[in-house]
Formats: sequence, structure tokens, C-alpha cells
Amino acid sequence: MEALRLYVRLVRVSMQARLQYRVDFVMGIFSVIALNAISLGMISIIVYRFVSLNGWNIWDLFFLYCLWLLGHSIYSLLFWHFWDLQEYVTQGTFDQFLLRPASIFIQFIGREVQYIGFADASVAVVGLGLAYINLGLHWGVKEWLFFPLVVLSGAVIETTLVLMTACISFWTGRSDMAIDAIMSFNFLVQNYPIDIFGTWFRVIVTSLIPVAFMNYYPALMLLGKSDPQSHWQWLGYMSPVVAIILIAITSVVWHFALRRYSSAGG
Amino acid sequence: MKIFWSFTRQAFQFVSVYRFNFFAEIFLTLLRMYAIYCVWRILYTQRPGAFSVDMGQMITYGVLGMALEIFVWSRPQMYISQQVKSGAIDTDLMKPLDFHLHMLARSTGETLVGASLAVPALIIAYFLLGVNLPPDIGTGLLFLFSLGLGYLVLFHLNFLLGALSVVALDIRHISWAYYSVVRFFGGQMVPLWLFPSFVGIIAGVLPFQSTYYIPMSIYIGKFTGVEAARAIQFQLFWLVVLVLTSRLAWGWAHRRLVVQGG
Repeated sequence: MEALRLYVRLVRVSMQARLQYRVDFVMGIFSVIALNAISLGMISIIVYRFVSLNGWNIWDLFFLYCLWLLGHSIYSLLFWHFWDLQEYVTQGTFDQFLLRPASIFIQFIGREVQYIGFADASVAVVGLGLAYINLGLHWGVKEWLFFPLVVLSGAVIETTLVLMTACISFWTGRSDMAIDAIMSFNFLVQNYPIDIFGTWFRVIVTSLIPVAFMNYYPALMLLGKSDPQSHWQWLGYMSPVVAIILIAITSVVWHFALRRYSSAGG
Repeated sequence: MKIFWSFTRQAFQFVSVYRFNFFAEIFLTLLRMYAIYCVWRILYTQRPGAFSVDMGQMITYGVLGMALEIFVWSRPQMYISQQVKSGAIDTDLMKPLDFHLHMLARSTGETLVGASLAVPALIIAYFLLGVNLPPDIGTGLLFLFSLGLGYLVLFHLNFLLGALSVVALDIRHISWAYYSVVRFFGGQMVPLWLFPSFVGIIAGVLPFQSTYYIPMSIYIGKFTGVEAARAIQFQLFWLVVLVLTSRLAWGWAHRRLVVQGG
């Protein structure tokens, strides 16, 4: 409880620091909305010509993209600075977390916020709303209860994967390339239904880098679609389980990584 | 000219030593190529008639677009913005080379690092994904010429953004939107002939198509003869406009910079 209070406090301070720069704030929000609008525009153009992509029509694809984006927005709002762990470790900035009488982990995750998460979230909500209306969906209580769980799980899945990968820098001093690799798979999963990429790709994004649980599997269930290549409909419900497993693994990795840390300052 | 190349070499060495992980980069490039290959293959099987080119050409276009992702390796606008913020820009201005040319030299070096990765990736893609070679040597040469023009057009757009950073300060976020505009209107993934009419008209007027769409359409043999000549004319026209604008804009930004320095 104490930890949570500290975390909320740290986030508030970081947020105030960010909001000092008003022009930057507005430009950042604008840019991220433009960026997502263009990505969705690209998808629309492809589907406009060809009606559907492997059985996914334009609104199915919007749903897929925006379901991913909504989970991602929580990550990009609160945890974007995990990328910078490499810098903290190699430049010795990490030392300051060790000196203060509070949880290292809480200090690290509360260190910064990135308001672009707000832009991601607003695009995602609008996109999901449009998709819901245009697909004529009528969710029951089960779907409505499950939906926020999927979004939260998506955020957890992305956050833990990035954090684990960032921890590589405790051993090698470099993690940016590995995070790039994870994100490359992640962005493909965001933009396209994974059933077009063949089995090896599906195996990777289901097990090793399980980002397909951020959008693909739950979307099949929420849209009432069936998977052309497997009969494992129950995978659609597995996102929270995957998220919990990843939290467990990540906490182990984090503890090993901390034990490994020796300050760069010497 | 010798000074120009020495700056190019310097940038090449810097990037290749500090920011480069050859095999990982090749792998990620191939992954992106594979993805676009899958997308076009599936769409082609769905509706072969909608493309106006054959499947081999379409896949070649897509894969080539991913290889030309190397154009974003060089970001002179970010360099300028950093130097302005830290004040180190004065050392750049003292160098024995016109600033505009200096940036071009650096940018060329950085892009060549990208090329050292795109070429092997394309060779692998040739064997794995069945990418076409250009129909004949003449087309290949014309492609390289048009690609060079495309690079120069993009460099000058970047440079203009860099000049803007002298007055607008932080361009990091604008940069994100800027690159998606370049990719989209440039036709890096989806060629302009597949655009719906009104978007196609806008894309047809903007300079961005010089970077991806025109060279790549020449490569796959979609643009030939008069059409190719007209496309290259379009690139030359924009290049001249952008070079002139860049000179003017930098002159103006430079004056502002001196005033700010006090």
C-alpha cells in the first residue's frame, strides 16, 4: 500500500514536469494522432481495393489495431522509459535508485511518464467505437466484462516483455537492438492478422514473444470469428493467464538483474 | 570535393561503429520484407485483377520499399536540432565546408551504412522471396539515377525541417508524423496507383513520391519510356525547388541563430 502511494506520487511529479512544456505537449499529441491516422489510412487503402485481407474486413482490422493500441496506450503513458534502462545502467544514473530508502522498482517505474499515451488511447477508443458500430456487434455481459481484462493484459504483456528485454543491459550494456526486435514483431501483430504470416510466425508470437495475446486471440473471440488455422478457440481467453505468467517471470529476471548490477561509475 | 568525402567517410565510420548491429539489422529488414511479401501474396490470390501489374512485380515493389527503409538512417534534422539546443552548432559553422554541403556529406555517409545492409538483405530476398531483377540494364541504370534523385529530394526535405528546428526548438515529435507522411505519400508500402482517386491526386502533386514510388515503379517496369521520363522530370523539378528553398531557409535560420547567440 505504501508502495502504491509512493508510485502515484512519483507519477504525479513526473506528469507535472512534462506539462511544463505546453507546446511540446500539443505537438506530441498531434503527431501521435496523425501517425495513427496514417497507419489506419494505409490499412483502409489496402482493404478498400481488396475488400478484405484473408477474411478480415476494414472494421475487423480497425478493431484489431485499436485493441492493441488501447493496451499499448497504458504502456506508452507509464512505462515508455523502459527503453532508457540501458542509458541508466551504462551511465550510472541507476545508482540514485539504490541510494534512496524506497523500493528500487517503484522508483524506476515512476521515474517518467509520456503523455503520448493519451493520444494513443483516444485514437483507440474512437477506432474501437467505430468498429463496434459498423460491425453491428452486440456484446453480452461476458464480453463487456472480459474486454477491460484484455486491455489490461495487453498492457501487462507489452510492459513485461519490454522490461525483461531491457534487463539484458545489466549483462551486456546494450538492449536497444533486442527491444527493436521484439517491437518489430509487435508492430506486425498490431497491423495485420497473424494468420497471413504462416506457422513459424504464429508460433513465435504465441509462445516466445506472446504479443498475439494483446489483440489477435482475444479479437477472434470478441468479434465472434473463427481461426482459419487452429481450433483452439480457448486461446481467446488466455490473455490474463499469459499476463500473470509474464509478471512472474519478469520479477525473477528483475531480481537476478539487480544482483548483477555494478555501478558504471566505479 | 575532397573535404566533402572526408566528412562522408567520417559519418560512415561513426554510424557503423556505434549504432550498428549488422546481423540483427539484416534479420529485422528481412522480417519486414517477409511481412509485406505475405500481404501482397494473399491479396493477389484474392483478386489478381485489381493490381494492374503481375504478382512478381508487386512483391518486388513491396520488398524494395522495405529495403529503402535505409533512407531514414540519416536524420540531419535531428542532428541540427541537437546542435542548436546544445550550442555546439557554432563548431559546425566554423568547418571549412558550406553547412548545407556538410550536412549532405554526413547524410550520404549515414545512408551508405544503410546501403551496406540493404544490398545483402535484397540478395537474400532475391533467393528466398523471389524478387525480380529489373527487366534490362537500361532500366536498372535509370532506377539508380532516379533513386539518387529521390535520396536528394528527401535529404532536402529533412534539411528544411532542420532549418525549422532553429526557430521551433523541439522537432522530435513532429518528426514522427513527418516520417509517416513521407512513407504514406511516398508510396513506400502501397503504390500510388492503388490509392483512391482524391488521395492519389494529392500524393501525385507532393514531392514525397520522388523518394519511393518513382524509382521503385521504374525498377519493376511499371514506368517506361515517356512515362519514366516525365517522372524523372518531376523529381528534377522538385529537387531544384527544394535546393533553392533550402538555401533561402538556411540563410534565414542562420541569421536568427546569430541573433539568439547574442
